[in-house]
Amino acid sequence: MPTKKSSSVNYNEIPKNIRRRPFYIIAPGMIILIGIMIPFVLAILLSFTNFSFKSITWHFIGLRNWISMLTDSEFYHALLVTLVYGVSATAVQMVLGTVVALLLKKDTFYSKILKVLFVFPLMVAPAIAVLIWQLMTSNTVGVLEKFLNLFGVFNFPWASSYRTSMFTAVLIDTWVNTPFILLLVLAGIQSLPKSPFEAAQVDGASAWFTFKTLTFPMLKPFMYIALLFRLMAALQEFAVIFSLSKGGPGDSLMNISLTAYMTAFKYSRVGVAMPYLLVLWLIINYSAKAIVKRQRKLARQAEGL
Amino acid sequence: MNNKNEIDSKLVSSYNKRKKRKVLGAVGRNLGLTLYAVFALFPLLWMVLCSFKPDTEMYTTVFRFHPTTANYSAVLIGTDYFKAFYQNFVVSAFAVLITIVAGVPVAYALARYQFKSKESVAFTILSFKFAPEILVCLPVFLIFQKIGLYDTYFGLIWVYQLVTMPLLIWVLRGYFEDISVEIEQAAQLDGYKWYEIFLKTLVPLVKPGLVSVGLLAFIFAWNDFTFPLILSGSNIQTITITSLRYLASDTVHYGQVAVASTIAVLPEVIGCLFIQKHLVRGLSFGAVKG
Amino acid sequence: MAQIELEHITKTYGDKTALDDISLCVRDNEFFVLFGPAGAGKTTLLKTIAGIEFPQKGLVRIDGKIVNHVEPLNRNISMVFENYALYPQKTVYDNIASPLRSRLHRESEEDVQKAVVKVAKMMSIEQLLDRRPGELSNGQRQRVALGRCLVRTPNVYLMDEPLAHLDAKLRHFMRSELKEMQSAFNTTTIYVTHDYTEAMSLADRVAVLNHGRFEQTGTAHEMFYLPSNEFVAKLFGEPEINLFPAELTAEGGSVRLKAFDGEVTLTPCADVVPELEKGAKKLDVGIRGNDIGFSFQQEGRDWIRGTVYANEPIGNKVVMTVEALGTKIRLVAPNNTKAELDQEVYLRFNEKNFIYFDYETQKFIVRSDMDRYLRS
Repeated sequence: MPTKKSSSVNYNEIPKNIRRRPFYIIAPGMIILIGIMIPFVLAILLSFTNFSFKSITWHFIGLRNWISMLTDSEFYHALLVTLVYGVSATAVQMVLGTVVALLLKKDTFYSKILKVLFVFPLMVAPAIAVLIWQLMTSNTVGVLEKFLNLFGVFNFPWASSYRTSMFTAVLIDTWVNTPFILLLVLAGIQSLPKSPFEAAQVDGASAWFTFKTLTFPMLKPFMYIALLFRLMAALQEFAVIFSLSKGGPGDSLMNISLTAYMTAFKYSRVGVAMPYLLVLWLIINYSAKAIVKRQRKLARQAEGL
Repeated sequence: MNNKNEIDSKLVSSYNKRKKRKVLGAVGRNLGLTLYAVFALFPLLWMVLCSFKPDTEMYTTVFRFHPTTANYSAVLIGTDYFKAFYQNFVVSAFAVLITIVAGVPVAYALARYQFKSKESVAFTILSFKFAPEILVCLPVFLIFQKIGLYDTYFGLIWVYQLVTMPLLIWVLRGYFEDISVEIEQAAQLDGYKWYEIFLKTLVPLVKPGLVSVGLLAFIFAWNDFTFPLILSGSNIQTITITSLRYLASDTVHYGQVAVASTIAVLPEVIGCLFIQKHLVRGLSFGAVKG
Repeated sequence: MAQIELEHITKTYGDKTALDDISLCVRDNEFFVLFGPAGAGKTTLLKTIAGIEFPQKGLVRIDGKIVNHVEPLNRNISMVFENYALYPQKTVYDNIASPLRSRLHRESEEDVQKAVVKVAKMMSIEQLLDRRPGELSNGQRQRVALGRCLVRTPNVYLMDEPLAHLDAKLRHFMRSELKEMQSAFNTTTIYVTHDYTEAMSLADRVAVLNHGRFEQTGTAHEMFYLPSNEFVAKLFGEPEINLFPAELTAEGGSVRLKAFDGEVTLTPCADVVPELEKGAKKLDVGIRGNDIGFSFQQEGRDWIRGTVYANEPIGNKVVMTVEALGTKIRLVAPNNTKAELDQEVYLRFNEKNFIYFDYETQKFIVRSDMDRYLRS
C-alpha cells in the first residue's frame, strides 16, 4: 500500500462523491420545479409592460399599469368580492365541517358508512359540481325548484340574479369543500388523548363546557391547517365562478381571478391584468405565513396539554 | 331505613335521566348527520337518476319515471365526449407518473439530507400549491404560444406538475421521515449500494403511501379547470372543459348533461375508495397524520 | 480479523459533543466491551467505527489503514443495532440472508440457505423463518438481528446491547455461544452493554465511557478492584459500592480515619498510609457489600450500630440495606439471612478492602495490597 501524505487529504471532510449524491437525485425534480417558477418571474415582468394581444409591439411602461389599477374602482370591487367570497365560504365550511365532524365522533355503523360517503363531493371537479347544481336548481326541470314550489317559492333565481349569485356560488363551494374540513377535524378528534375528557366527565362537566375548554383548544391546530388550505383556495377561486356565471350577473362575482382573466382574454390587455394577480398572490402569501405561524404556536401549546 | 330508599330512588331517577339524555343525544346526532347526508349526497343521486331519465319526462316527473339508456348512447356515441374522457385520463396519468419519478427522490432528499436552505426550499415547493392558477396561466400561455406548446399533451403535462408535485413531495417526505434511519444503515452494512437501498428497501416501504398520494394527485389533475381552459384549445379537451359546453348551450338535453357529469365523476369516486386510509394525510399535505 | 484504532475522535451533533477526543486501540481478535450509562456515547462510537457516523475530528483505522473515507459497505463490518433495524417487509429468512445476497458478499443460494439455517438454529428461531418482524416479540426480533449479524464472518463484529431483551437463561446461553464463536472465527468484537456481569464474563478488555470520554480502560478485573475513580467503582458490582467521606487525622502517633462526623474511627492498613499522607486530607472511602461483616449482637466495641432498612433475597445471596450513622449502607448477607425491618444490627468494615478516593477529584488513590491486584 503506497504511503500517502495524509496532509494532502482532509479525512474529516466528507468525500466529494458522497456529498454530490443528493444533487444527482433531486436534479430532475428541481428542473421541473424551476421550470414552474419561470412564469412567476415573467408575470412580474409583464405587469410593467403594455403587452396586449391586439398589438404586435409592446414596451415597458413602468408603473402605469399598477397605478391605473389602484385608481380603478373595478379593482376595489374585485378585491371586495374576493374577500367576501373567500371569507364567507371558508367560514361556513369551517363551522359546518366542524359540527358534522363532532357528530361523527361516535363510532356507530351509521357513522362509519357516512364517513366514506361524505368524501364524495370533495372528489368532484368544481366545474362538474356546478353542472350538477344547475341541474338541480334549474327553474324548469330542477328538483330543488320543485321542492321550493311546495313552499310557494317560484323561479328562485339562484345564479341569475345579482343578489343571489354570491349565495349560490358559496353554496356550491361549500358542497364541494366541506368534507375537507370534516376529514381534518375528524382526524384531529380521533387523535386527541382520552384522559382529559374522562377526567372532565368524572368532574361532571357539561357538554358545552367540555367543548369550549377542552375539545376546541386541542382541535385548533387541525382547524388552522384546514383554514389555511381552504382560505387560500377560496380567495383565488376561479373554476366555480367561471362555470357558474363567468363572473356575472353584472360584476357580482368578479373576484380578482375572474377580473384578471377577463382583462387579459376578453379585453386583451395582458399587462394590465398582471398587477391584479400579483396583488392576489401577495395577499395569499402573507395570510398563509400568518396562519402557519399561529398554527405552529398552537400546535406546541396543544402538545403541552 | 328512609335514607337508603331515598338514595336508591335518587340513583334510579338520575340513571333514567342520563339514559334519556343519551337517547335524545343519539336521536339528535343521527338527525343532524342525516340532514347533512341529504345535503351532501342527494345531488349525486339526483345526477345519476337524471342520467337515466328520458328528455320527454324531464319536466313532468320528479322521482317516478321510465328509465332509459338513450342519454348514455347519445353522449358516448353521438359526441366526442369519450375522446375528452380519454384525453383527460392520459394527461392526468402521465402527469402523475412524471411527478412520481421526479418527485420521490426530492421527497427523500428533503426527509433525509441536511443542507442549509432545506426548509426554505421545502416551503417554496409548498407555496406553489397556494399560488393562484391564473397567475401562472397567463404568462405560461404566452410562453407556450411562443414555443409551440399550446394545446399539446406535453405542455399540459408540464403545467400539471404545479398541481401534483407539491402534494407528492410534501406527503411522501412525511412517509420517508417515518422510516427509521437505522434500516438504511443496516442495509449499508449488509453490502448494498446507496441506489440499491433506495430502490429495493425504501421505496417498497413507502409504496402504500405512494399509491394513495398518486391517486389523489391524479384526482386533482383530473379535476383541474383553469389550465385546460387557457392552455388547450381544440386539440385537447378535458372533461371539465367539455362540461362547459354543456353549461353554455341552452341545452334541452338535460339527460345528457346528467350523463356527462356522472361519467366525469365516476373515476374519482371509485378512486377515492382506494385511498381511504391515507386520505387525510394526503389532503393535508402530510400535516395531519390521519 | 482486524485491529481497530481510533485516534483523537471527536464527534459533535450541533453543539452537543457525543465523543470527546477518544483514542482507542482494539487488538486483533479481541473481545472488547464498551460499558457505560445511557447517553454516554457508546452507540455513537460503534457507528463511527462502522462508518455510519462521520467524525468531525480524528482518524479511524482498520488494520492500520485510514478508513475515514471508506463507506460502511466496504469496511467489511457486521453490526447488531440496539433497535434491531430489521427490514419490515422481508421475512425472517430474508432478513438474515440479506448480507449474503448483496453484490459485495454474494453467495450461492445453497450456501445462503445453509448459513441462515445454521444461525437460526443457534438463535433458536428456526421455526420463525417464514414470519415477518411485525409478528415477532422483542426478544425474537433481537435474535433475528443477531442472526443477521453473525451470518457472515467479517473483519469486525459490532454489537449494540444484543442480549438486552432476552430472558436470563437465553442470555446466559448466548453469552457463551458468542464467546466461542468469536474465538473460533478469529473475529474482533466490540460489544456494548450496560450489564456489568456480561462485561466481566465476556470481555478481554473493558472501556468505561461517560459523556463521550473514557473513564478507564483495562481488564474487567482491574475495573472491579482498581477502579480509576468513583464513577467506575459505582458501575461495577452489585450491590453498589458504599462510599462515605472520611478525614485523615493523626491520633497519638498513628494515622486514623475519622468518618461520619467523627462518630466512627477507622484504622487504615499500614501499606496504604504513605500514599494517603501524600495527598489531601479529605477522602472518600469505598467498601463493597461483601466486605462488611454484620451481626445482630454487638460483637465488639468498634462494631457500628444500625437498623435494618431493607432485606432483599435475590437468589443466591441477600442484599441488606442498613440505616446507620445517617446514611444507608448496602451489604451482602448469606442466603438464608432473615431480618425484620428496623431490627438492630451491628456492622464491621473489613479495612483490608477499603478503596480510597480523593474527596475533591473522586479519583482513585490507593488500596491495600495493590500488588496482588496489579499482578493478576
